Amino acid sequence: MQNPKLLIAGVFLTVALPFGALLLSSQVQLGDLAPAPEEEGGALYPATVPGLAVQGRDVYTSLGCIACHTQQVRPSGQGSDIARGYGDRPSVARDYVLQSHVLLGDRRIGPDLANYGARVAPTPKGTQTEPEKAAALAKSLAAVHVAIHHGNTFAFLYEADAKGDFAPERADALAAYLLSLRQDYNSPEAKLKK
Amino acid sequence: MTQDNRSGRPQGRPSPGESRLSRVEAQLRGPFLLFFVSAVIWLLVASVLGLISALQLRGVSGEVFTFGHVSAAQHNLFIYGWAFNAFFAINLWLTSQLGRFELRNAWLVSLGAIIWNVALTYGALSIFAGDLNGFSLLEMPRTVGPVLAVAFLLSAFWPIVAYAQRPTGHSFASQWFVVGASFVFPLAYLLAQLLVLWNPASGVVQAIAHSWFIQNLLLLWLGGSALAAVYYFLPKVLGRNITGYYLASVAFWTFFLFAGWTGTASLLGSPIPVWVQSVGVVGSAMFLVSVIITAINFHGTLSTQSGWSLAWNSTTLRFISLGAVAFTLYGVLNALFSFRGFNAVVRFTSFSAGQEQLLTYAFASMVIFGSAYFILPRLTGSLWPSTKLVHLHFWATAIGALGSISASLAVGWQSGKQLADPAVPYAQVLTASAGLASASLIFAILFLVGHVAFALNAFGMILKSSAPAVEGRHD
Repeated sequence: MQNPKLLIAGVFLTVALPFGALLLSSQVQLGDLAPAPEEEGGALYPATVPGLAVQGRDVYTSLGCIACHTQQVRPSGQGSDIARGYGDRPSVARDYVLQSHVLLGDRRIGPDLANYGARVAPTPKGTQTEPEKAAALAKSLAAVHVAIHHGNTFAFLYEADAKGDFAPERADALAAYLLSLRQDYNSPEAKLKK
Repeated sequence: MTQDNRSGRPQGRPSPGESRLSRVEAQLRGPFLLFFVSAVIWLLVASVLGLISALQLRGVSGEVFTFGHVSAAQHNLFIYGWAFNAFFAINLWLTSQLGRFELRNAWLVSLGAIIWNVALTYGALSIFAGDLNGFSLLEMPRTVGPVLAVAFLLSAFWPIVAYAQRPTGHSFASQWFVVGASFVFPLAYLLAQLLVLWNPASGVVQAIAHSWFIQNLLLLWLGGSALAAVYYFLPKVLGRNITGYYLASVAFWTFFLFAGWTGTASLLGSPIPVWVQSVGVVGSAMFLVSVIITAINFHGTLSTQSGWSLAWNSTTLRFISLGAVAFTLYGVLNALFSFRGFNAVVRFTSFSAGQEQLLTYAFASMVIFGSAYFILPRLTGSLWPSTKLVHLHFWATAIGALGSISASLAVGWQSGKQLADPAVPYAQVLTASAGLASASLIFAILFLVGHVAFALNAFGMILKSSAPAVEGRHD
């Protein structure tokens, strides 16, 4: 205690031990995870997302959507996420390997979005093209945020500004991003419930 | 020293006729006031943002002031603006008091203060401009990170220098906590910046790194600095020894040893390895050891010889003993709600916000207020202008904190219970927790009133004070 070197060395160890044991070893355990096929020779999941969705991700981040929305489905013993229909299976680490910055979130003022794409668009493939679906979703987002008394309609995303310029690109990108959020595939760590 | 003090009366002012400032204090007066004034300004900004954020839930819209922007900016400014600046100042003062440390390079500290606050302003404006990322307390653009780290070293590395150079072999618990806190934060901050923003680790490892960083920031830096102040002011103002002081070194080591392991308990149920989650649960339970020892030290000291009533009648100790109680409560709640069953209920609700507020406001901020009531009169050489404002400050912030924290905890628990039952529709849960929005508006107003009262008093005193004696008393 009286020796400054000992004190500093001790404090350094208290930082270094959790860092090594929690962070470095998780990186060792999870660092090599990569998309995996659902079944032998099948398509790889998580799938790479279209460019528009990547742009939409930036919109999602820059508007601060994470303040109210999580993107993680807890296992059935831990909360009611699956029973509430947020996902068909718990999220696993492999679902996030393609994301440059994970947006897990830690507060649910709105619903979880981890599996939003699969949840919101149950229409059979082919009846609506992706851009049409995105446009429809963009319009419905405003209605949803008003309906939950959040107050902020995010109308600036869809409406013309004072000069009359109509720029719904961000809304389309955001919608494409939300539709790209899917955890409705079998992962080696978590199988979908039959 | 303080037995004759009545409630609301200023503490720690020098007796009349005594030379005002020691040389040690004269040297750090400039940087101290720079940090302190910045801290109070940020506190006011954060309180206004808190009010906006409370109103937001009731129907204000716009792109700049989305709820995500306002709450992120408010959170960052409260922590990095208010708490950091204030603890830079208090730690510097504690160090100079305990180590007889002469701050010869005060300009370096002032430079650190200026860099810190300019970088923070830029970071906060960037958040409103939409240049933010999704990691709580790392929201500011990543370019701000290294600048803040440099400013931190300029501002807060001095306690370590002072500790290494101290003339006597003896050292006191406050010194250990300040040295540890000052050493840990820059390390954790840079590593977190690297792993989360600059060279992102794979997938969810970022979330693990982030949770580790948050606990380092909140517990080791804010909590450690605040504990140092409690260890100093309790015996100083009461004029007695800490009860069971021989345990303080155990408290220090267990605090630093276990705090770093508690972080991943906030990720229970998340898609991270289960063993990492379990380590967090165990860490939070072990952390109780240090909470219990500090409770013996603090509450033991306060419980003998009518310490509580003495503390109540001293402005400094009224705030600080409230903070000490809040820390004990926080430790117990943190351990309890790290267990899976409880955590599953309150996860993702307002409960964790309440827990954090218990630590950052009811503990750390109350300790800062108490310390300010002791230190500022000594450094400025004048009295607190208004006793009424002191009372207003105490009651507004104490009621605001009590109300806001218990509302967050209660509503969090209640809505968590409802969410756990899948038969209850989500809309109904939202309606049930709508009361929180009205309540948080009231508490945001209370906080703002209390902080304005404090700022008026503090700024009035600083402006009133004469220029410092450059060559003061030598001791």
